[in-house]
Amino acid sequence: MTALLLGALGLTLSLIVPGPLARAHWPDRAPAAAVLLWQAITLAAVLSALGVVLAAPEELTRALGSGKPVAAAALIGALAVAAVIVLRLLVSLWGVSRRSRARRARHRLLVDLLDRAEQRQELDAGHVRVLQGNLPLAYCVPGREARVVLSDGALRLLDREQVDAVLAHEQTHLRHRHEVVMESFTAFYRAVPAALRSRAPLDAVHLLLEMVADDAASKRTGPAPLRGALERLTDAVPLAEEVMPEEDSRRRRTARLAAPQRPSRMLTGAVVAAAVALLVLPTVILVVPWLGQALAVWPL
Amino acid sequence: MALGDLEREIMTVLWETYLPMTVREVHQELARERHRDLAYTTVMTVLDRLAKKGVVRQIKDGRAYKYAPMQSRAEMTAALMMDALSGTPDQDAALAHFVGRLPPEALRAALEAIQRQG
Repeated sequence: MTALLLGALGLTLSLIVPGPLARAHWPDRAPAAAVLLWQAITLAAVLSALGVVLAAPEELTRALGSGKPVAAAALIGALAVAAVIVLRLLVSLWGVSRRSRARRARHRLLVDLLDRAEQRQELDAGHVRVLQGNLPLAYCVPGREARVVLSDGALRLLDREQVDAVLAHEQTHLRHRHEVVMESFTAFYRAVPAALRSRAPLDAVHLLLEMVADDAASKRTGPAPLRGALERLTDAVPLAEEVMPEEDSRRRRTARLAAPQRPSRMLTGAVVAAAVALLVLPTVILVVPWLGQALAVWPL
Repeated sequence: MALGDLEREIMTVLWETYLPMTVREVHQELARERHRDLAYTTVMTVLDRLAKKGVVRQIKDGRAYKYAPMQSRAEMTAALMMDALSGTPDQDAALAHFVGRLPPEALRAALEAIQRQG
């Protein structure tokens, strides 16, 4: 029974919940807490999968009344499969972070060489780099020696206040180590079999992190400069056709900046509580009672 | 002068001259045009480092070596921007956080246009 319930929970969390949650707009009012909720959902899905793998063979052998050797074999098999799942996740995480680090180091090297230092003298920020090019771009390269990169196209397009807002936005990504959050979701996505995974968490968390950075920048410069910068940067590149998901996420961000709402304490508290409950309740309700029974007939 | 600034200046000299240059030519150019009074060996060391990093090509010319950038500034800039933009979860996490996330196809087209100009 435990295995079935955990399996149902795991499938619900990985297949049913992400779609509606990614489409919902209430997380826009508590973006940081919503990121925590996504992390809890992902972790709870992994724990459920591990629970199924460990509980199912034990429950089956107990129900069939198998002898000790069979139960022992089932237990060893279950532990091995669980170890493989954990190992696969860790290897994926290690690979993603190692490759990202190498790519960022190379990127940093090149951006330092291509930097037009003479164009950023008034910006007085040591880690800003300016690339030559009309394409308006602003991004940051995270890492121990982080960089914020602007193209001179972007500098021409934005006024001073807007540039400051953009820098504040990027510095929030860097200070809060948002790349680590994105890397962990990417690693999880890569480790999960194709039939069970969905892009929804990745895209939703990405958008939420942008909102967190928007909020921090708004606090420094007010919401108007950042909104202006966002509009100018996107409008500068004509699109052959509207790309819906991008359009939608941009609209959500500009709408928040156009009509700033007070961050809702209640909502934040409720979302954090839900995230904690998601991790604690299945363990207490399902896993602990099963563990009590299973340990009583421990076959090894 | 910090090593990073030195590397950047030397790359700028190579990019602007376009033809492969010897260490002596780079050294002279830095002194004459940019008023950088550097030791000859410093210039040599930096060029060697840049070659090791794969951004500068070493060409044997008789007994001396000449140095030329692997790509023009415009090409390298375009390639760098592409690198920042690419990244799907099937490969890896995106390298960078953008302010306004633009569709990669639109940017690719814009970058190709820039490359044609450059």
